[in-house]
Amino acid sequence: MAAASEDTLTKVSTEAATEFIKTFYPALGLNRESLSSYYSLEPTTILFNGNRVADGTAVQEIFTNQMSPTYYEVQSYDCQIINKAYPTTLPGGGLKPQSEMGVKDMSFLIVVSGFVRYGEGRDQPQRGFSETFVMIPNPSAERARGRKDWLIESQNFRLVV
Amino acid sequence: MKTMKSRRGGGNDRGGIRKRGPTRTDRDGDMDMDASGARAKRTRAEKSALGGRAAGTGAGGRAAGTGNRAQARNKLMDPDIIQRAILSADQANIRRGGNRKTGGDLEPFSVRGWKSSKAASNRDGGIESLIAFLERRMNSFIKSGPRAKITKSRTEGDTLVAFVRPDLADHMLRINNNVFAGTHVSVEPYTAATALDQELAAVDPVPGSTADTKTKMTTILSKRFFPATKLLDLSKLSDDPGLNAMGIFANVSTKSKFFPALMKVWELGFKTASERREAVESVSLADNKLSNINSVTTLAQSFPDIQYLDLSKNDIKNAQAMVGWRWKFRNLIFLDLTENDISSDPTFKDTMLKWYPKLQTLNNVQVRTPEEVAAQKKTPIPVLPAHFIDESQVGENFVRAFFPGYDNDRNGLVSSVYDDQSTFSLNVNTTAPRAGQTETAGWGEYIRKSRNLDKISHLSARMSRSFKGIEKIREVFNALPPTRHPDLIAKAEQWLVECHPVPHLPDPTGQSPTGVGGLSLMVHGQLEESVGGKIEIRSFDRTFILGPGNTPGGIRVVSEIFCLRAYGGHEAWSPEIQALGQVPQVAAPGPVPTAAPTPPTVPAAAPSGNVTEGYGLPRPGKSDTQLQQEQMITQMSAKSGMTFEYSEMALAGNGWNVELAWKNFEQLKATNGLPPTAFLAPA
Repeated sequence: MAAASEDTLTKVSTEAATEFIKTFYPALGLNRESLSSYYSLEPTTILFNGNRVADGTAVQEIFTNQMSPTYYEVQSYDCQIINKAYPTTLPGGGLKPQSEMGVKDMSFLIVVSGFVRYGEGRDQPQRGFSETFVMIPNPSAERARGRKDWLIESQNFRLVV
Repeated sequence: MKTMKSRRGGGNDRGGIRKRGPTRTDRDGDMDMDASGARAKRTRAEKSALGGRAAGTGAGGRAAGTGNRAQARNKLMDPDIIQRAILSADQANIRRGGNRKTGGDLEPFSVRGWKSSKAASNRDGGIESLIAFLERRMNSFIKSGPRAKITKSRTEGDTLVAFVRPDLADHMLRINNNVFAGTHVSVEPYTAATALDQELAAVDPVPGSTADTKTKMTTILSKRFFPATKLLDLSKLSDDPGLNAMGIFANVSTKSKFFPALMKVWELGFKTASERREAVESVSLADNKLSNINSVTTLAQSFPDIQYLDLSKNDIKNAQAMVGWRWKFRNLIFLDLTENDISSDPTFKDTMLKWYPKLQTLNNVQVRTPEEVAAQKKTPIPVLPAHFIDESQVGENFVRAFFPGYDNDRNGLVSSVYDDQSTFSLNVNTTAPRAGQTETAGWGEYIRKSRNLDKISHLSARMSRSFKGIEKIREVFNALPPTRHPDLIAKAEQWLVECHPVPHLPDPTGQSPTGVGGLSLMVHGQLEESVGGKIEIRSFDRTFILGPGNTPGGIRVVSEIFCLRAYGGHEAWSPEIQALGQVPQVAAPGPVPTAAPTPPTVPAAAPSGNVTEGYGLPRPGKSDTQLQQEQMITQMSAKSGMTFEYSEMALAGNGWNVELAWKNFEQLKATNGLPPTAFLAPA
């Protein structure tokens, strides 16, 4: 892998985090059928207020079938690269060779601070939340439109106010 | 557990964190991350408190120690328990002798007299300058070695309880009778018994009759306490023959100090905070000629959870006269202020509804339905205790070492857990929801470094606000204001610490192409800062990715993001599980496919039957699953009143699903399906 410059690494990671924030949170409110597509097929830990959820499909099921309307607002977020050369297992088996890795083979951390309103209407109380994500490269080789370059490896949502 | 798909070169890439480099272990075999050498001998009770919300014993380190807990379990209050407990508390103090320890290795001292200093008019009552004074004086005695620090303190009435390292004890005592801000202060070793004596001495009409005062107060309290209805009737105190016989109300000084002393005597009647909290649901302070709540404000500390409060027939004129209780009594459902002027204020009802979110009956009129109360609290996803899946106590030890280090020795901290590849950044959420009243101090140094990507869009700023490597992190840590975090044990409820393994971190040795396993650690809490002599309180969320490294403890911070926001309290993570039965069950999230659904919350003070010491607490050789199950059993027992045996049957029979077990219990109870032996006998 050609070593990417710090500029490039920062640009790619922060833009990826922004792209995620700008699509995932609105999806929690309005596009819940798409939620599973944000998740890795084998996430390690998904937590909502200490409740463990198995995977993206289960998250989507909960949000589409059990959750009242929600409105999320992200007020602050930041990210850090965790592993610049995240070991990706190719769909056919085996690790993606280092020689084929690019700048997008990074895993990164996102921490979000914001509020959520449960229920209809703007007069519902704002509940502060903090949420942490570890994002990993999407191992899928498909090049379809709307393909996500990174997927959720772990997630921890907590109401904090 | 997942199986590993890709594993090469023998590297452990999934799950478990592995320490690198020299590691040391303490007596219990735990990794010692405390590189400063000031190694704490930690009690088991202390250890157990981490990993979430501990129901701390004697929160604040009050006399009744953990050793008495076993006998103290599940004693419903009866009038003479106060008597007995005071006697046993005295004995306990004698037994402990000089051996008494309250904050790990730290020794407590009581500092008195500062209330009459010039500094007492400071916004924080002079505490900050008093602590600075004590540290300055101690340092003036020290020729060499580490600087003196007061790492922990609290106030009890007129007493500042300050904790110092044992080697500073002599220096501390030398400060006795020194002049602080124009007045002499006394410094002496602290014990709960002396603290009480001092409180009592202040109300003693006849000097030297403290023991007598205590006995009399105990008698008065027992006459006014009705265990069956959980009522403490403190109405018409000035008509009380017992109090009048003591001459309490004869002069202004004893009158103002009487109530705090009475509260203290009450508190000492209980071995654990939870026992004390459960004893009383209703308090009456009716007909006491109160024009404000100042003289009785300590009621809120002794009875934070009461549901019924009668303040009728007093002289409370307006909300300002009660403002000290604005954020207290969060469980209040009944409040009576009839025959007070405040009741005719047009905003009275709205104000009280706003102040007390669970209030249903105000001046004997329904102002909110139970459904309305429930609707406010409703969270589609129930709030469970902390999810804390640690590996070899790495996460626990990290938290234990990190926050005291951040408060007291950032240089040492940076050298011990960061390396040249560690990244750190902080961000300020300036618009976060807050816990009400708080005006927030400016964000000063934080905002200049804030990397809120929603606001910081230029690449150059995004780069310059991310800090990589020991030196840059050291620089930014040292530029941030000094802080004080609440004690992890004594104030466990103010923290939420969660942890889980995370795979495929970069291997600092470069050996494993699949990387190494580590932990994701998420800490929510609050910190105090001294900004220009003023104490500011803020909330924070701090996420760490931890992995093996060539640091002194073998663990390094791979990435860290520190988010600051206005103070938001800690109610949000108070588990609803503890309120099972009151809170209507709302849509729970779907199936939870994990063997251990409940994380290690530690109901250390929970009631029990005859169980072995250490039940529900971590112990070498006890598996995490067993520990969690014991804790669930303890919780179930505390909630249901069933014995451990039946609590275990209920849980095991329902696949260790707390909700199912609880529903099962309720069904059986409703249909009399449980034998009397299923329940703990009242004491």
